[in-house]
Amino acid sequence: MREVVIAGIGVTKFDLYDGEKAPLKESYDLGGEAIIEALEYAGMEWKDIQSAYIGSCYQGVGAGQQAIKEVGLTGIPIVNIENACSSGGSAFRLAYRDVAAGFCDVALAGGLEKMPRGLIQATSWREWERRLGFNVQPASYAMAAVRHMEEYGSTLEQFAKVTVKNRQNAVLNPKARFQKEVTIEEVFNSRMISKPLRLFNCCPLADGAAAAILCSKDKVNSNDRLVWVAATVLSSGVYGHERGGGSVNIKLPGRTERSSREAYEISGCGPEDMDIVQAYDTMSSYELVSIAELGLCKHEDAGPLLEKGYFDLDGKIPVNTDGGLIGRGHPLGATALAQIAEAFFQLRDEAGPRQVPGAKVGLCHSMGAGPSCTVTILKR
Amino acid sequence: MVKTMNIKASGKNEVPFMEGLWSIPSSLDEKPQLIASKCKVCGEIFFPKKQICTYCMSRDLEVIKLSRKGKIYSITVVMQKPPGPWYRGLVPYAVGYVELPDGIRVETLFTGCEPDALEIGMEVELVIAKLYENEEGNNIMAHKFRPV
Repeated sequence: MREVVIAGIGVTKFDLYDGEKAPLKESYDLGGEAIIEALEYAGMEWKDIQSAYIGSCYQGVGAGQQAIKEVGLTGIPIVNIENACSSGGSAFRLAYRDVAAGFCDVALAGGLEKMPRGLIQATSWREWERRLGFNVQPASYAMAAVRHMEEYGSTLEQFAKVTVKNRQNAVLNPKARFQKEVTIEEVFNSRMISKPLRLFNCCPLADGAAAAILCSKDKVNSNDRLVWVAATVLSSGVYGHERGGGSVNIKLPGRTERSSREAYEISGCGPEDMDIVQAYDTMSSYELVSIAELGLCKHEDAGPLLEKGYFDLDGKIPVNTDGGLIGRGHPLGATALAQIAEAFFQLRDEAGPRQVPGAKVGLCHSMGAGPSCTVTILKR
Repeated sequence: MVKTMNIKASGKNEVPFMEGLWSIPSSLDEKPQLIASKCKVCGEIFFPKKQICTYCMSRDLEVIKLSRKGKIYSITVVMQKPPGPWYRGLVPYAVGYVELPDGIRVETLFTGCEPDALEIGMEVELVIAKLYENEEGNNIMAHKFRPV
């Protein structure tokens, strides 16, 4: 397998492109913008791209082609990827494999989404479950949060502090949806969604797109601060971890543990080597679960370390440096690629006011209904 | 036409929201139980029933009835109507996992107390209770757990 580098990345601002809060734009407009930005970053043209994978969840048929037909019509293979919140990471992995295996030298991974409004219409619940009202994402996360409190002593205050941290980071990221900090009190005063999680514990909707150009080393225009794909791993559901309950007796590593351990093995890095981490924070409570399952610390230490500032921008392992899902917003198909974009800019020393000095290794973690989970490690 | 249960004191027909999830009592002494599958090879249990054991992939499964009593493993109270047309019950409503001594946790609705009164560790038992009343005036019934 060849080594694969990232030649360029483009990300739109994540926002509500409904013609009121932000200009009216469709997913293909946003996708096209991100792709053009990635090409300009890489100093490439569309004709250089030999293969493309585009992640999305709610954009209907041929969403990738719809975006790309405004950029260039070169007849290359374009494949649309729907893998819930891991769609962008799944697209990235396939583009990586095309280049690593030598099927092509330059491939594009994209993610784009214009989100339907309101609670996510997840069809990943069986009909009988939907008729019983189980199809509420925050409810599933609330039950996980309650277990984390029970087993590991996490607190609502800690969950609120995750929101405060990620919103602070978002203010330093002009492409994040939220550009305003919140206080712990504001989190506690926000509307209850699914007890004990409140509105500000939940990631907000957003529309947006991101695109990355992956290539072999000989195709890149400059060797300055080259960012390598050290590992990119996808896993799916593991027995004993099904949503909706299931076995009490079988204890196997879950999908985050599986993906991250495999990524550590492939990359030759451990959790202790990570300079920055983009951990899946669809709910602020879940950031603590993600941090622990990625092996950054024990479950019972996640909350206390957070309170000590360990995961702050200037902490030992900064987590969700761009604001995460909580501060940046969550366009499902684009999210995992926005995480990869953030890691890329950090390793390139181009993250502006939120730059973590000297960042050399970064990890991106996204989970999706299905279930699925992608973990990508980038190295400079 | 969906099979109805006995006409109850409410005077309304009681119709299960879905067939095959629990056993309908044939006498007053009998109580409803959730219907599950047990793998005859590895012993893992599945609710609802399955054709294939997703742990050991055996196809040798038997139908069993689950214990009626268990403990709340986790709990939440949903404050707004879920997306889509499917759920027609009360809002807010409690959703949780109940751990049964058979070695399985099941996701479930609750009844018999205020949603906020439910806590981890609480002993609960299975009942068949009203989910909502449909346009024909029938009570649509679901399995729920209530505090013992």
